[in-house]
Amino acid sequence: MSTAELSRPTTEPRFARIRRALLTPRAARITAPVLFLIGWQLIAPLIPSRILPMPADVAEAMWEQLVDGTMVDAFSISILRLAAGFSVALVLGAVVGLAMGLSTRVEAFLHDFVIVGLTFPYLIWGLLVAMWFGFEGRGPFVVVVIAALPYVIINMAEGVRDVSKELRDMATSYDVPNARVLRHLVLPSLSPFFFASLRYGLANGWKGLVLAEVFAATSGAGYVINEMEEYGFFAGVIGFALWFALFSILVERLVFGRLSRRVFRWRSAAVRTEETRKVEPFEAMVD
Amino acid sequence: MDPGGRLRPPVPPNRSERSTQVATQTAPPQAATPAPRVETRTRRRTPHLWAWRLAGYIFFVGSWMLLATYVFEVYILPSPTRVLSEMWEILGRGDFWENIYATLKHLFIGFTIAYVIGTAIGIAMGRSPYWDGFFHDYVMLALTTPGLVFALICVMIFGLSTWAPITAIVLTAFPHVTVNVVEGVRAIPRELQDMATSYGVDRRTQLRHIILPAVAPFLFTAVRYGFAIAWKITALTELFGGRDGVGIQIRVKFELFNMAGVLAWAFFLVTFALIMERVVLQRLERRFFRWRPKAFA
Repeated sequence: MSTAELSRPTTEPRFARIRRALLTPRAARITAPVLFLIGWQLIAPLIPSRILPMPADVAEAMWEQLVDGTMVDAFSISILRLAAGFSVALVLGAVVGLAMGLSTRVEAFLHDFVIVGLTFPYLIWGLLVAMWFGFEGRGPFVVVVIAALPYVIINMAEGVRDVSKELRDMATSYDVPNARVLRHLVLPSLSPFFFASLRYGLANGWKGLVLAEVFAATSGAGYVINEMEEYGFFAGVIGFALWFALFSILVERLVFGRLSRRVFRWRSAAVRTEETRKVEPFEAMVD
Repeated sequence: MDPGGRLRPPVPPNRSERSTQVATQTAPPQAATPAPRVETRTRRRTPHLWAWRLAGYIFFVGSWMLLATYVFEVYILPSPTRVLSEMWEILGRGDFWENIYATLKHLFIGFTIAYVIGTAIGIAMGRSPYWDGFFHDYVMLALTTPGLVFALICVMIFGLSTWAPITAIVLTAFPHVTVNVVEGVRAIPRELQDMATSYGVDRRTQLRHIILPAVAPFLFTAVRYGFAIAWKITALTELFGGRDGVGIQIRVKFELFNMAGVLAWAFFLVTFALIMERVVLQRLERRFFRWRPKAFA
């Protein structure tokens, strides 16, 4: 092999190298938002500026929201509400879901109302709790519970049904103590479903929460963005929407990315894809 | 694949009638033959499960009734009968059909656009790692951002027009379509495709007999889940800044503190959506894919 052949890649024209680097999937993840920004910058002047603010104005609004604490306050209040509501939904949903998974009677009793809970728009719950609890009460918290509950119930019920009957029977006939059955059989096979209920329950709790905050609260992320809209502070609205987006990315990358790797580290790759496919549709059922 | 479907209690008793009826219409005879074995098993278990199901309805509707009658004022929690009579009254008025028509128009235009865009992006993402990287964050963001945010931005940009709800529907529904289509494209059996190519099967036959059968169920699921999102965001956007539609009616009733009216309009919407999702689409899906072995369904 000659040296000329070895060094060929470095002697190829520079623009070709750059072009190849730009065509990798990793580069695409950066190209996408850059193109979005350029498109926005080009389109914004064509529309009256009051309606579609320029990227620079939005960046300024975001900076202000960060410096004066609006953003941190709003999100921390909302996150606290979400945590409180979701903890309740998790406990309640685990109990009900286990009961539904274990008994066909309980399932027949509750099934249709879980579906109604899944279908009923958070919008209506938001309006209802505004009437029930007023504008400064427990409304948003209650909506989080209601929004997250069906997802927890369904996943827990599925998880219980998924525990292998053969392995359970074998454990019984070999006199394996209950604690060990729980630790080594039930919990491991329940964990992907628990994880799914965490993920979709939180996602939907969050969506229900911000909506409820518009009608039934005087603080929180949903309240703040609606307020800015009503005052016609459009750069602020878009800026705050971008905070929402950053928040989603943060949660998705830091929490769920790591968590799911940890929870599923014992699984083989094949099982993992099958599992994720199984729980995928729940993602689609959000508001 | 289908959480709702698996959750359903064992097949209702009139299932046997329906399946024979369907079988006489179009089904190949062998599709109907394995059914009876399953039927006998479920039929034996059905009666008491139906009792439990009924008990569920009595419990939930009953406690709503009791709370509404004895505990809460009507403007806080109207009783089911009051909501029903309100629904009846709304049905009789002329603006009922106008509003339903406006909402359905937004819904179907928006959903069609979302489906086309979502499918195109899904195919691109499923086939090429580059487009996968390109759209990944957009899809993820559109999936996780609350509908409220999209509704507010669309109302802000488009004002009181038809385009606000339509754009909001497109933005919220397309990622749900995309996610399913990507799954579908990845489910195309490459080995079969390779084999067909090496045996000289032409593209059209491959498309008809390998690609479409593999992708079709996912395309259908995409309709179902996309639709489930679309109707909710329609009402939401209309409420925040529509000119007509069910959402506006809900807002008007809410501002008059008429909770029976809010619930009445909500029930019209939910009933329509449940019938579409759980009856029409699910049944169509089952009919389309009757030929598949159970394990795939």
